[in-house]
Amino acid sequence: MSIVVGGGRRGLTDPEIAKVILAAIPDKPLETQRKMNYFMTPRGKRINEYETLCCYTQPTPDWIPGGLDWGDWTQKFHGGRPSWSNESTEMHSSDWHRHRDPAFRWHALYVKDKAEEWRYTDRFLKAYSADGHVRSIDPVWRDEVLGDYLGAFGFSEYGLFNSHSSPTRDCLGDTLRMSIAMIGLDKVDNAQMIQAERTFLAKLVPGFDESTDVPKNEWTKGSIYKGARETVEEIWQGTYDWNEILFAGHMIYDPLFGQFVRREFFLRLSSYYGDNLTPFFINQMQLYHSQTKGITKDMFHTCLAADENFGDYNVSLMNMWSDKWLPRTVNAMKDFMGIFSKIPTIAGVSDKAAIEAALGRVFDDWQRDYADPIGYKVDTAAMIKTVLSGLK
Amino acid sequence: MAISAATKAATDALAVNHAPVSVGAQEVHRWLQSFTWDFDKNRTKYSTKYKMANDTKEQFKLIAKEYARMESVKDERQFGSLQDVLTRVDAANRVHPKWNESMKVISNFLEVGEYNAIAATGMLWDSATAPEQKNGYLGQVLDEIRHTNQCGYINYYFAKQGQDAAGHNDARRTRAIGPLWKGMKRVFSDGFISGDAVECSINLQLVGEACFTNPLIVAVTEWASANGDEMTPTVFLSIETDELRHMANGYQTVVSIANDEAASKYLNTDLNNAFWTQQKYFTPVLGMMFEYGSHFKVEPWVKTWNRWVYEDWGGIWIGRLGKYGVESPASLRDAKKDAYWAHHDLFLIAYALWPTGFFRLTLPTAEEAEWYEANYPGWYDMYGVVYEEWRARGCEDPNSGFLPIQWFIENNHPVYIDRVSQVPFCPSYSKGASTLRVLEFNGKKHSFSDQWGERMWLSEPERYECQNIFEQYEGRELSEVIAEGHGVRSDGFTLIAQPHTSKDGRLWTLDDIKKIGCVFADPLKAL
Repeated sequence: MSIVVGGGRRGLTDPEIAKVILAAIPDKPLETQRKMNYFMTPRGKRINEYETLCCYTQPTPDWIPGGLDWGDWTQKFHGGRPSWSNESTEMHSSDWHRHRDPAFRWHALYVKDKAEEWRYTDRFLKAYSADGHVRSIDPVWRDEVLGDYLGAFGFSEYGLFNSHSSPTRDCLGDTLRMSIAMIGLDKVDNAQMIQAERTFLAKLVPGFDESTDVPKNEWTKGSIYKGARETVEEIWQGTYDWNEILFAGHMIYDPLFGQFVRREFFLRLSSYYGDNLTPFFINQMQLYHSQTKGITKDMFHTCLAADENFGDYNVSLMNMWSDKWLPRTVNAMKDFMGIFSKIPTIAGVSDKAAIEAALGRVFDDWQRDYADPIGYKVDTAAMIKTVLSGLK
Repeated sequence: MAISAATKAATDALAVNHAPVSVGAQEVHRWLQSFTWDFDKNRTKYSTKYKMANDTKEQFKLIAKEYARMESVKDERQFGSLQDVLTRVDAANRVHPKWNESMKVISNFLEVGEYNAIAATGMLWDSATAPEQKNGYLGQVLDEIRHTNQCGYINYYFAKQGQDAAGHNDARRTRAIGPLWKGMKRVFSDGFISGDAVECSINLQLVGEACFTNPLIVAVTEWASANGDEMTPTVFLSIETDELRHMANGYQTVVSIANDEAASKYLNTDLNNAFWTQQKYFTPVLGMMFEYGSHFKVEPWVKTWNRWVYEDWGGIWIGRLGKYGVESPASLRDAKKDAYWAHHDLFLIAYALWPTGFFRLTLPTAEEAEWYEANYPGWYDMYGVVYEEWRARGCEDPNSGFLPIQWFIENNHPVYIDRVSQVPFCPSYSKGASTLRVLEFNGKKHSFSDQWGERMWLSEPERYECQNIFEQYEGRELSEVIAEGHGVRSDGFTLIAQPHTSKDGRLWTLDDIKKIGCVFADPLKAL
């Protein structure tokens, strides 16, 4: 038959074409090794689908540790700066391709989870509104705390989201790049969920202001988020080392300030003020925090701190970065204490003893999960005392 | 607890209407532009000579969760097809062998482009100031991860289920050996991520995606399908649904700088450089993959090129940007000439260097030679006679001791590599527009094949210092280089690359190559 096929004829279904194709196919497969990326070292016993689809997609040369390519960059920045370079971070690695998302999420799995969360959010909001739950929320909590201060916290999440742009550009490994982009998206999702909650309330509560004007004013000019804003700005745009950005954001600021604000303030207190809407959104954020924690602990603890050649050096650097970012974060938490003067106090819930206990949980968790693994010595009691000094 | 007026109003409203209420994506998105704030250090880490406007909007207004929902639906359809019906009909074993080989290259090289586009759009996300514009780029960051995984999935699928897994199963390790790799990195990797951020956007979105994804991702599906491959259309057309948003991102990049003075000074030069950069590789390589990498032919590459590149992109798409001062690139005329012959020139060299590939190549059959001559009059006298000579000398047979690259050497037709595009060319035996230009800088010689690349190099030589394969491997014997680059199958000695796809033909081994004694030489040293 003619080798010219037109009219959208398909080789799989057109008998004439299929006959030619089948005649050309070898009688038996030419290669017995059918496992893609068979040459790589898997994290577990076998190479999984995530590793097959993500590992070694990055074409870096072998002078960036772990790279399989050779030679120089074919085009550089103006002035000759290389496309990617070891100098983009003070951290050292024997293999920048070593990181794994502990959940082994490639894109399809990641969006599947989030799509389900979106569908469930829609169903939940419909049930919530039809049930009239909104009637039970304390007006001060609703209008001031959710309207203004939860709204302002959205800027913290949005700023942290933006801190992932340059690490997405600059990092030196493929699984790193994919994880960084995904945990970045989770942060903007948090900011959007906060706005979604405020918009939802505006639809149910006449006069509730969904505009971002007041929250932005609180974020940029108010005292409660002053320390947080300055820290976020420094993480987002004041820092160039992509590992330091991630470390500052995800190993110091978010597990302390973020956890206190989300878990110990909005999530814990909301039900006391008749609010069972906010926990729905915050719990999604807490899920993302938990997944991000798995990712960043793998980056910094499993890979960099345990690196066979550079582990000790990397741990020293992480200690130095902790020294740098911890005081700022503690200061941010101290400023946040001002929020307690804005709400009616509930004994045993939002009084000083309860706040101290909440701070204790956050600092204990942080010490166990983040400080201890790198041998970072910290006096959490002193820090809690400093934070509490911000109570009005 | 006091009942506020608002609570009373909410209660009253509920008494009238208990209808369920939710929040739509657009209701959230409309606030996005106000999510940012001004502060002293708020500036990009990637310098650009342009200023992106603070109020730039995006065309596709997605929020994170709605993005995920949309992509997840597409994934369900795509992976459902692949894992269900296509597997049950053994589709991977009903693909023409020549096309099976082409997909080793097409899917893996596209994967590199998609992967680097993650970083490229990360840079743009950083560079843009408007939250909506950042959001558009962010969506693309995630899309590019999706596409990287999808391209990998094609190779994964073919490796697991197809007729020749070698090359599909280890392309990420073996792809760097051959002469097509570095050029691919220029267009698909460094061209997207290294430079002025807007220049990179022009490379990626305005040219790479708006111009070349149409032939690369859409036209390829027709060729795939004609040759029995239904996996590629299933995946690539799903990829293309995202590309529309990426083209919109490129459009918005231009919109965001349209009122900036720098745009009137530099935009058309950057566009011309980007177009030449992209076309210099894609025009010959896509044409070569389609025409020489298939058995059944859909249409001559030059027609596809004219439709998608010249008319659709150079005319309509760029025409739409005319109101922002954008003009069709001056190099479009020269590119049109390349569309006719450059892929034939390149295949001659690629076939001559077949042992360095991670795929099998096939000499044109008599039927194909007729098709080439009918569509490219003059083809036989230039190329057909050479292929006949190579075949007669036994180039497909390991016992022949003949590698076609020897023909170039015997006939004094040196093969050079263009320093800027990294594309190989043979100035003394080509019908395309390549001409040899050699310049010396810092004690090193550099060859160029056209004026556009030469101009780029003359203005910024420090950006194009990369060694080519002749420099890298100079003095080394070919089989050694192949072994070092893991260019062998799982038996440890049979080459992944072969000069035929015949099911009866013998496969070449490292020993077959070694006994020929082919040693790399840098042609620039002879000048």
